[in-house]
Amino acid sequence: MAAGVAAWLPFARAAAIGWMPVASAPMPPPPRDKRHTRDELIILNVSGSRFQTWRNTLERYPDTLLGSTERDFFYHEETNEYFFDRDPDIFRHILNFYRTGKLHYPRHECISAYDEELAFFGIIPEIIGDCCYEEYKDRRRENAERIQDDEDNENGNDVTQLDLTIRQSMWRAFENPHTSTMALVFYYVTGFFIAVSVMANVVETVPCGTGSRAKEMSCGERYALAFFCLDTACVMIFTVEYLLRLIAAPSRYKFVKSVMSIIDVVAIMPYYIGLVMTDNEDVSGAFVTLRVFRVFRIFKFSRHSAGLRILGYTLKSCASELGFLLFSLTMAIIIFATVMFYAEKGSNSSKFTSIPAAFWYTIVTMTTLGYGDMVPKTIVGKVFGSICSLSGVLVIALPVPVIVSNFSRIYHQSQRAEKRRAQKKTRLARIRAAKSGGANAYLQYKRNGLLADAEEEASKEAGKALVCKVNPTFETQHHHLLHCLEKTTNHEFVDEQTYETSCMEVSMVKPSTSRSSSVSSSPHGLTSCCSRRNKRKSFNVPNSNMTAGRRGSVQELSTIQIRERPLSNSRSSLNAKFEETVPLNSEQQPYITAAIISMPTPPVTTPEGGDSASSPDFLQSNIVRVSAL
Amino acid sequence: MGALMVIFSLQPKQKRKRRDSVEDELELSAVRHRPEGLEQLEAQTRFSRKELQILYRGFKNECPSGVVNEDTFKDIYSQFFPQGDASTYAHFLFNAFDTDHDGSVSFEDFVTGLSILLRGTVQEKLNWAFNLYDINKDGYITKEEMLDIMKAIYNMMGKCTYPILKEETPRQHVEIFFQKMDKNKDGVVTIDEFIDCCQNDENIMRSMQLFENVI
Repeated sequence: MAAGVAAWLPFARAAAIGWMPVASAPMPPPPRDKRHTRDELIILNVSGSRFQTWRNTLERYPDTLLGSTERDFFYHEETNEYFFDRDPDIFRHILNFYRTGKLHYPRHECISAYDEELAFFGIIPEIIGDCCYEEYKDRRRENAERIQDDEDNENGNDVTQLDLTIRQSMWRAFENPHTSTMALVFYYVTGFFIAVSVMANVVETVPCGTGSRAKEMSCGERYALAFFCLDTACVMIFTVEYLLRLIAAPSRYKFVKSVMSIIDVVAIMPYYIGLVMTDNEDVSGAFVTLRVFRVFRIFKFSRHSAGLRILGYTLKSCASELGFLLFSLTMAIIIFATVMFYAEKGSNSSKFTSIPAAFWYTIVTMTTLGYGDMVPKTIVGKVFGSICSLSGVLVIALPVPVIVSNFSRIYHQSQRAEKRRAQKKTRLARIRAAKSGGANAYLQYKRNGLLADAEEEASKEAGKALVCKVNPTFETQHHHLLHCLEKTTNHEFVDEQTYETSCMEVSMVKPSTSRSSSVSSSPHGLTSCCSRRNKRKSFNVPNSNMTAGRRGSVQELSTIQIRERPLSNSRSSLNAKFEETVPLNSEQQPYITAAIISMPTPPVTTPEGGDSASSPDFLQSNIVRVSAL
Repeated sequence: MGALMVIFSLQPKQKRKRRDSVEDELELSAVRHRPEGLEQLEAQTRFSRKELQILYRGFKNECPSGVVNEDTFKDIYSQFFPQGDASTYAHFLFNAFDTDHDGSVSFEDFVTGLSILLRGTVQEKLNWAFNLYDINKDGYITKEEMLDIMKAIYNMMGKCTYPILKEETPRQHVEIFFQKMDKNKDGVVTIDEFIDCCQNDENIMRSMQLFENVI
């Protein structure tokens, strides 16, 4: 029942008095009227725009936010109104829903913003009125497609190299040629051979000057062997490609059914059939026909051209329009052919010998080709011929815009997808930079241990990461929170690089334990260890005393590494070892890992925290395995 | 060929459009009705200012043009009785509300009727009910008129009732009614018979007071 009609209920009840005299039984008592309060105005303040309505209006829909007691949570005592920190423009439509019972969708609003507002106010979108429902559904579907696209792309790119098997990486190389250079090479090679093969097929038939005999020969006959070799080479390449694709396909059955594979098969089959069949005169006719199928090789280009794929897809999606075009054309052709035949029957030596013969004339005329090989001679024939050509233009022109608009829509969609892919790279880069900026800020803060510096550094780092300046209070509170977490878990935060290197280290730690017993005596061994490891990345040693001296040369604030604990109890011995080994590597990398130095002594897991004033956090008891923020 | 078809189809549409435009113009001119002032209505009816305001807001919401014609009236009333067909009864109601018989119920008619129903004396209410039953407004309720009213009321019930509605139920009901009301057995019920009889009936008296607090 519409909301407005509810206002007429008193009238309907009053009119019930008309039944009283004829009633056969006594009436039930009326319900107690609960609300004896007067209807009052409610003020809804939505981000500054004040809306007012009757309380009854809102309470028409008690299962929404505004109609139930949930709105009391938003009551603002000082100003005696309900305050919502939401979009006032969209709220207008939501309030109109209460008033009129119809929910409308404004076309200029973003679909996700609108959905969010509806969800906030507890209104289900299915009650959108018929006038706006189509538009709403369309926009929603587009949005869902876009999100799905993004997800698919993400999933596609997230798979790291390490996880793929040979087969999967092969398939990936085939499907996305830009993923690796090998794939790109393969892509171009196959493209080249397709072009060569098609050109060869074309040139084969060109007359090539007089050969040994009197009549003209085509190039194919003159250089038969050369063309045969070329054809063989191309078909071999195509066969190899097809077999590789077949092997690499995740679902072979699906691959075999797909259009591209069928094109591949059709492209190479004629050659093999030709090999199998001998040069028998009887079947040579059929053999010649088979060669026609070689032209299908040109369709292999659709793997290389997105535009071609879009065209194919458009034709597929416009199948109904094309069907309609064909059907109406056929109808018109038959009608006009019949008319022309009977009109021209009278004249002698007319080319219109039968209705099917007249089909040719009709088609040529309707498509405005007008070859002139068949022309009507009688006046009636000429009249109907002109009507035929006029209507031909109309019939053909009607479905074409539909197909064109379909093509345009699909093309723009693919353009959008391309643009999104390009933007995604920069977007992800920005996100990553922001993330690392945040991590850097925190790690910097830890090293400094001072709030003021952290603010500066935080904003500097944040600036570097292309993020706008963050709120300093927020930053410090956030840092404190991270610090608490570190203390709780007894682990610390590091960045990605150092995490990876520490991963590698730990895997290499065991084999090198035996060797490092003689570290002091054989610096070469150490050098080789270090140099081997240092080839990967440079990293700092967060040794508490070392940092004081080394801080000046810290290039990357992010490369703080936490590692196995310095295994000696005394810091001085650690320093000694460190000093000893520094000159070995200073030419290459200014820093070396403490782990390598401290391997020889048996691991002692006593926390050394509290001794160093600047950064007690670096002394850990366990191997740290934490990922960057 | 297509062009020919298009040309032929254009012709009738133009004629139709010419006719429609004249009707549209008429409708446009008839559609704006504003009720008399609040004070006048206050004086004429027994509603307070506030109550009139509430009533008018509801009225205007559903009928922005200011008058209700019979179709809209039937529409509105039918929404309260979704199971059955309330159009016949709504027709009778419409005639009862449309006191000046101009084919439309304005806000004044509406409010006057409601004033009687909700705030009137028992006498007035019974008068109103008699007016409703007396379809041709000749001062007598005949059996046929009563049968029509009864059928209309039973139509509102719809098909799905318990016990099942039979063909002769309205007729039987009319018989009972006439036995009760028609004192002199002349086949018609006059206004005096009607009021007399109702005033002597406990149930009817009690039920008349039922909807006092509807507004």
